[in-house]
Amino acid sequence: MSIELLVQALLNGFGLAMVYVLVALGLTLIFSILEIINFAHGEFYMLGGYITYYAYALFGLNYFATLGLAILTVGLAGVAAERLIFHHLRGRALNAFIVSLGLLWVMQAGAQLAFGVLDKPVPSAFSGVVRVFGLVMSVERVVVTLSAIVLIAALYLFLRWSRPGRAMRAVAQDPDAAALQGVNIDAASALGFGVGCALAGGAGGLLAPLFAVSPAMGALPVVKAFIIIIVGGMGSLPGAVLGGLLLGGVEGLGALFMGSAAVNILGFLMVIVVLLVRPRGLLSGA
Amino acid sequence: MSGPAAGVALIALTAAALPLITRDSYYLDVATTILMNLTLTMSFRLQISTGQINMAHISFMGIGAYASALLVTRAGLSFWATLWIGALVAASLAVPIGSIALRVSGPYYFLITFAFSEVVRLFFNNFFEGLFGGPSGLVGIPKPGRVLGLAFDSKLALYGLMAVMCVVVVLALVRLDYSRFGLTAGAIRQADLVAETLGVNVFRYKLTAFVLGSFVAGLAGVFFAHFRQVLHSSDFGLEPMVLLVVFTVIGGTGSVWGPAVGTILMTIASELLRELHHYEILVFGAVLILTMLFAPEGLVALPSAARRLLRRRRRQATAPAGAGLAP
Amino acid sequence: MMRIRASIATIAMVALVAAGIATRGAAQDKTLTIGVLGPLSGGAASYGVELVRGAEMKADEINKAGGLKVGNDVYHIKLVSYDHKALAADAATAANKLVFQDKVKYIIGNAVGATCNAVQTVTEPEKVLFSFVCWGTNNLGPDKPHSFRAMLSQWEVAEPFYRWVKEKHPAVKRVALISPNDTSGKDTNTAVVKALKGLAFEVAADEYYERGTKDFYPILTKMLATQPDMLDVAAAPAGEAGLILKQARELGFKGAKGWTAGTNPFTIIGVAGKDAAEGVWSPTNINVKSDFVSPTVRRFGEEYEKRYKEVPGVIAVANYAAFDVFTKAMQDARSLDTDKVLAALTQKPFDTVWGKLVLGGKETYGIDRQFLYPVVISEIRDGKVVDIAQVLPAALKK
Repeated sequence: MSIELLVQALLNGFGLAMVYVLVALGLTLIFSILEIINFAHGEFYMLGGYITYYAYALFGLNYFATLGLAILTVGLAGVAAERLIFHHLRGRALNAFIVSLGLLWVMQAGAQLAFGVLDKPVPSAFSGVVRVFGLVMSVERVVVTLSAIVLIAALYLFLRWSRPGRAMRAVAQDPDAAALQGVNIDAASALGFGVGCALAGGAGGLLAPLFAVSPAMGALPVVKAFIIIIVGGMGSLPGAVLGGLLLGGVEGLGALFMGSAAVNILGFLMVIVVLLVRPRGLLSGA
Repeated sequence: MSGPAAGVALIALTAAALPLITRDSYYLDVATTILMNLTLTMSFRLQISTGQINMAHISFMGIGAYASALLVTRAGLSFWATLWIGALVAASLAVPIGSIALRVSGPYYFLITFAFSEVVRLFFNNFFEGLFGGPSGLVGIPKPGRVLGLAFDSKLALYGLMAVMCVVVVLALVRLDYSRFGLTAGAIRQADLVAETLGVNVFRYKLTAFVLGSFVAGLAGVFFAHFRQVLHSSDFGLEPMVLLVVFTVIGGTGSVWGPAVGTILMTIASELLRELHHYEILVFGAVLILTMLFAPEGLVALPSAARRLLRRRRRQATAPAGAGLAP
Repeated sequence: MMRIRASIATIAMVALVAAGIATRGAAQDKTLTIGVLGPLSGGAASYGVELVRGAEMKADEINKAGGLKVGNDVYHIKLVSYDHKALAADAATAANKLVFQDKVKYIIGNAVGATCNAVQTVTEPEKVLFSFVCWGTNNLGPDKPHSFRAMLSQWEVAEPFYRWVKEKHPAVKRVALISPNDTSGKDTNTAVVKALKGLAFEVAADEYYERGTKDFYPILTKMLATQPDMLDVAAAPAGEAGLILKQARELGFKGAKGWTAGTNPFTIIGVAGKDAAEGVWSPTNINVKSDFVSPTVRRFGEEYEKRYKEVPGVIAVANYAAFDVFTKAMQDARSLDTDKVLAALTQKPFDTVWGKLVLGGKETYGIDRQFLYPVVISEIRDGKVVDIAQVLPAALKK
């Protein structure tokens, strides 16, 4: 096995890792603020995909404008979901989990009803491939990865420096203390849920031209996102990035040595091993 | 003790009365499925009662099912032996898995057990294909053999067997719930740390509940294998597991009868809605959301909630201009 | 709280009434109820939905023409279709409901291999005639005399397809295969490998992926490192096959492309894009828009698209044809009795949208329950599907 092949395998693994990190960050943000494991997170990703299909593939809107539209629309859908549903389930983790399952079913069946069952193709916005030292990656993937990194950075800056971002972090750390400091918990929760969903929507928009869109497309990224946040540590942004890179690397390399179907077991084994060694993930509480 | 005893008696009587009303194969099939799911949700609640959602519960059903199917078809053992062996295999694998998983709690526990269940499912699907049948699954699993002069080749007989198994399991679990063990479990759920400081070995209690639950799941799995006669790894994946959680929580986890109510109502509803295709999950999803919003304690809590409401109404009626600070 | 209970009660009532209306159906004097099963929600929904639509098209056609005349009776056809979500246990319950509740004697249509085995545990003992498009080899056999495969499988098409490749494209020597990791995928690759070895090709790679995979870079990197001349996306469903071809092109693959168990070529062109789909050969594609197909098929395609707003794939056509074959056999038998219909089915060829069709397959399965019809090999050229050759299965040559 040549070194070139090994490096290409790693590159494959890392290639889309940042997009899954986006999905994972949304999930972990929602969890840290509302203590909800949102199983319907993948459905918000799906929604972002379909917005891209309609706005970009059918209506012909600019690719990046479409991405912005997907982020905004899905974010608003998230705010609506929080205000109408999850808001009433604060402190009831089990109920919220069941409700998120219900939402998953409603959204998936609704998508099948509204958009049809067949895969809908979204044309590539960028063509061509980049070749360096015999390594290959499509321009499309490079753009997608860079966009994902920009979004991750934007999220970091938002949480770090903006007022609503800091309010959200305060609620995540200690809701009671935050409330005493004058933070509007309701607003912060709704915004947190919205931002979390917007990230999923953005990821869906980014991957739509690569993967086509279908009603059940949300299942895969959400499972990857679960693995990423549990390995990296819940509530940790650098942890999620680390988790994403680890998962991508393990899966990319694993595909060389074992059947591709069996590779899926590696991510879950990694979860078990990490939790055995560090019960709160690699970079929890960072 | 009359409450729980009456409940078990009710289940036993209903189960015994069904064949008098109908012997339609389809109804018997659905009834058998309900009883099988009931043993699963009741044993699942045993673990929820210590405050943990074990997403790998269905895997132990799968382990029992595959173990028995292989022991019967490959080693020629009798179903009546593998019924116990399969369940014991599930329980003994539950000891190490539970010991690892129970080191973490809350969402971490939820996700580590989910990881375990995926490992088990992918293992059955992708490894040792000659043994587990791989993605094609196992076919041609025989029905239970004759025992004590009774044959088990008819739907009715299999229904009867499942009914007996279910009643025994429910009886045992209800006894357990009202015993010292059940009280301790409740204490653990409400205040992990307090129970710990009071000298309760929380970890041991949780592990016991985990292993006991897995034993029951294994039993149900063995029955499942010889009832359906076909096994596929997806029968023990995320989707059926999610349904178990839904049945249990919709019914209500606070009472030992919650899972029973949830399992029976939801299974019947899903059969009635089967023809609606994807509208079925649309309706189901909406029902889940509304139930959790408006009946957060589950369906079993509805009567007492209504009673409370009625009492408050009555009180309001007697004191129309009641004090503003009423509790 | 009152409002809450009322709302839940309302939902329950609506659900029950809806189910009631759905199950009651039309009450005519003579009704023939036919069952359809399939995954109608979730990831595999497109298979099930196409099965139901194909059956619906034929049933409506018969009903509009005044019903199905069998002997001296005229029957109105009623379809009952259930979703089994691609789960084996659920499929067994659904089959029980069809057989014992709806008293169905014919189940025309099911997909996903493992669910077929589960359905057969119900249909075979009850002598219910059951046709499906599952590709599991063990779904047909002498122990399952009431089961039929209504679509050519890998065992019928792989050998003639690669014989054609060898003749027309002698430059192809090394073939790499990829299929999803399920019954149809495993059996397809097995059949293709057997055909390849028999025809002295080299098998460069024989790979499987988990259904639902979207990123094929990792597995393709490994496969393309073996330097194949041809990439066969064997049993991959249309959407995933399109992604594989698109990503293979990005990784620099320039060889020949095949799709042994091709389903919907229009989806593959859409997903892969015109360039990556260029030159795909497939022996099982149905091209309802081709100039070469019979007017009946074209009309079917047009009506289907008008009604469902999607182009029919091979599964829709296969179930439409299966429905046609079964109803014709009932008319031939002048009876709805399954034993008599079974005898009529295996007696003579049928004239269908596929062309001439017979039930064969004894050499492979030990029993004649496989629908055999001409294999049309097509090629994707400039975003269009062009039929380029027709091969007859051995049984049809006789």
